[in-house]
Amino acid sequence: MAFHETKLPADAPAAQKALSWVDDRFPLTKLWNDQWGKYYAPKNFNVFYLFGSLAALVLVIQIVTGIFLVMNYKPDANLAFASVEYIMREVPWGWLVRYMHSTGASAFFIVVYLHMTRGLLYGSYRKPRELIWLFGVGIFLCLMAEAFFGYLLPWGQMSYWGAQVIVNLFGAIPFIGPDLSLWIRGDYVVSDATLNRFFAFHVIAIPLVLLGLVVAHLIALHEVGSNNPDGVEVKENLGPDGHGVDTIPSHPYYTTKDIFGVACFLFIFSAVVFYAPEFGGYFLEYNNFIPADPLKTPAHIAPVWYFTPFYSILRATTSQFMYALILCVLAYGALIMTKTQLPSRQKQAAMGIAVVTAILMLVFDAKFWGVVLMGVSVLIIALMPWIDHSPAKSIRYRPDWHKWVYIVFGISFLILGYLGVQAPTDGRTLVAQICTIIYFGFFMLMPWWSKMGEFKPVPTRVNFKPH
Amino acid sequence: MKLMKKLLMVLALLPALAVASEGGYPLDHAPDRSRQLPALQNGAKLFVNYCLNCHAASLVRYNRLRDIGLSEPQIRDNLLFTSDKVGDLMKTAMNEKDAKAWFGAVPPDLSVLVRAKSSSAGSGADYVYTYLRTYYQDDSRATGWNNLVYPNVGMPHVLWELQGVRKAKFVEEKDPHEAGKTVHRFAGFQQVTPGKLSQYEFDSQIGDLVAFMDWMSEPVKSKRQAIGFWVLLLLAFLVLLTWRLNASFWREVK
Amino acid sequence: MSDENQVDSGRRGLLVATAAAGGVAGVAGAGAFVATFEPSERAKAAGAPVEVDVADLKPGEMKTVEWRGKPVWVLRRTPEMVASLKKTGGDLADPKSERNADDLTPEYARNEHRSIKPEFLVTVGICSHLGCSPSPKLEAGAQPSLSSDWQGGFLCPCHGSTFDLAGRVFKNKPAPDNLQVPRHMFTSDTRIVIGKDQKGEA
Repeated sequence: MAFHETKLPADAPAAQKALSWVDDRFPLTKLWNDQWGKYYAPKNFNVFYLFGSLAALVLVIQIVTGIFLVMNYKPDANLAFASVEYIMREVPWGWLVRYMHSTGASAFFIVVYLHMTRGLLYGSYRKPRELIWLFGVGIFLCLMAEAFFGYLLPWGQMSYWGAQVIVNLFGAIPFIGPDLSLWIRGDYVVSDATLNRFFAFHVIAIPLVLLGLVVAHLIALHEVGSNNPDGVEVKENLGPDGHGVDTIPSHPYYTTKDIFGVACFLFIFSAVVFYAPEFGGYFLEYNNFIPADPLKTPAHIAPVWYFTPFYSILRATTSQFMYALILCVLAYGALIMTKTQLPSRQKQAAMGIAVVTAILMLVFDAKFWGVVLMGVSVLIIALMPWIDHSPAKSIRYRPDWHKWVYIVFGISFLILGYLGVQAPTDGRTLVAQICTIIYFGFFMLMPWWSKMGEFKPVPTRVNFKPH
Repeated sequence: MKLMKKLLMVLALLPALAVASEGGYPLDHAPDRSRQLPALQNGAKLFVNYCLNCHAASLVRYNRLRDIGLSEPQIRDNLLFTSDKVGDLMKTAMNEKDAKAWFGAVPPDLSVLVRAKSSSAGSGADYVYTYLRTYYQDDSRATGWNNLVYPNVGMPHVLWELQGVRKAKFVEEKDPHEAGKTVHRFAGFQQVTPGKLSQYEFDSQIGDLVAFMDWMSEPVKSKRQAIGFWVLLLLAFLVLLTWRLNASFWREVK
Repeated sequence: MSDENQVDSGRRGLLVATAAAGGVAGVAGAGAFVATFEPSERAKAAGAPVEVDVADLKPGEMKTVEWRGKPVWVLRRTPEMVASLKKTGGDLADPKSERNADDLTPEYARNEHRSIKPEFLVTVGICSHLGCSPSPKLEAGAQPSLSSDWQGGFLCPCHGSTFDLAGRVFKNKPAPDNLQVPRHMFTSDTRIVIGKDQKGEA
């Protein structure tokens, strides 16, 4: 295609001429318009729709503060702990950079969990948005890995022993486990070798993957357009200008709304950074102010709060619990045999898998299955687009009792999280086991319960009150 | 909105799950002297005289003591025990190998100890404050001393001359949770020889020392809180402005 | 119509106010991060003044100490060495140390011998060309790479610049400036502290 140079009148402002020069060679204005300026989004977004842009903000905060931390941090087992205190005490304003980074890590998870909640409530993962959801699951996995690798870097007692325990989880895998753990660690125990490679993962490897996934996540979103709290497909109702009648351009309306959201977020974020950076030992754990000691395990190791729900599931998987799980697996196989419309070949395969799993649950011990269950508890979220068979996308048009199902699920998740920070007792383990069943039941039974009940008619126009 | 309200209601009524007590000696509350420069300076003096012989505070520089109102000549003349330059780190004179041989463990670095000892039982300052005041004579231990907060600790009672020598009384009591078992319970101190200070004076000196250690574990704390006030003020202003700005645009959305 | 104007001016006011407040927040935040580049306490402590004891320094001998990572020479000049300073005047690029005086020559060194006491030269041993450390050539007399009437001084091995026994650079050499005399003072007849003088620390 021949190059077409835009001609502007001679008296056009310099800025306009400069922009035109760039636009002839690089789709700058088009990018701005397509991705934000003239990206038409539903007008009924509520508070839950702020968390995507906030997550992007926290990502930027972590990268910028991370860069400045790396200027002074020493990734050496003998120097790491002292280098963090060097940043806190001796680098001008280093304490602020450090506290922003540690608070940012927890803030990232709070924002992302709320962002995921929005998806669950409004069916944002439903067709045609499955791929957005899958990229999101990828981002969540990377985020957990990033947090895990980053946590070793201060080289405190929690850093060290947390890493030791998690790497040993891989040792639970039959046959290849111990060798795999040795390979991950680069040594017989977590050591300087481990620290250096975790540093590389945390500082560059995962951030690059994370950035790539975020870009893919946004491209996939803009390709199909945003969902909304009513679950109405706004592109099915176009106005004379070619845009959805219930949509508005992101600029200026969501620019100003998101900036307001950012201001509120920064207020809360700063309150924590300046007045409660430890946050009761949840954001900066007390035990991590003790330098790592390979010879002495602290009385209480718990993972950082954002991992605790999944950690609870791991801990709940005792040899006793295996019997309950075996029953559940077999019952699920029976459910598929009797209560689905699948071709008989698939039904038999499902039952076969259930039986084999049940047998393996008797063969391999609970330690291995705990790891499996923990992994599955994270990954199962990826299945949402295919297990939700509700005729209504959004919770607003589902039967009222569905709301209670979500509430019970949410509370179980929170209880699992709470139990994860506590020391285990028999009573607490039982509660964790019950919540584990609820957690998995929510997902595994969704193909059935999501269809049940009396649904309200989904409107063709969104619910919007002018303000 | 209805769903959100429901969620919030149920969450607010979340049954408080029982929190098992940690066990361990109940901690006293350390007095808050973080804004009293004379107390912090006295604490610095005690720290350098009694603690630096065995413990290091190797993440703290001597000249940081300027922040608690001491001048460099004052630091150099009165507090420079283990070094000759006021810009040096507060290292200890004791060699690690010797320490291990003499005490069984290397005395830990105290730079951030107060931050490390926080727990649900109390703040780190509460821990150290109670620890330093609950030593008792125990001939079954190598050092001749034992401690209520940290049983069988390897550290001797360094401040015994100030507090005097005390013995601890223990009684055997029936275990309220398990029949047939007894519990070893602390029942009070017994002063054997008096110290240079009365109990009130000793507690106050320890209060100063702990206040200093608390300051030392995060010297920037008071500055951080002071700056935070202005940051939050500016951000509150920004919240207000962006709220009205947003409202002014959304008025035109029908 | 008037409604729109009211909305517009109200909105513009809010935009300006928000941009201003946001700008303050942004600049303050950026400032903190930029400040992290300043020398840390560790760097400042390592850059602290250094004391030198010259009691054992014999006339004609030179001592090197480290200050701020750089070599500082303390040369105890013999009376002949001090006298020879008058002879080099014509061949020097800046005999009166007038160039960059604030950086290179403190007031108490703006004299013939570039020092507080004529006997002791205190100078930073870094060539003003590209930063190599010159070699001492304290002996007078012709030598390779040196002029035939060499009175004694320093020769930089990297690009051949030469300096006299007061650290002054010779003409027609790559180096533009005399060697720096750091701020220093005598705390006693035989102790010099480098990096500090009556006015305070450097």
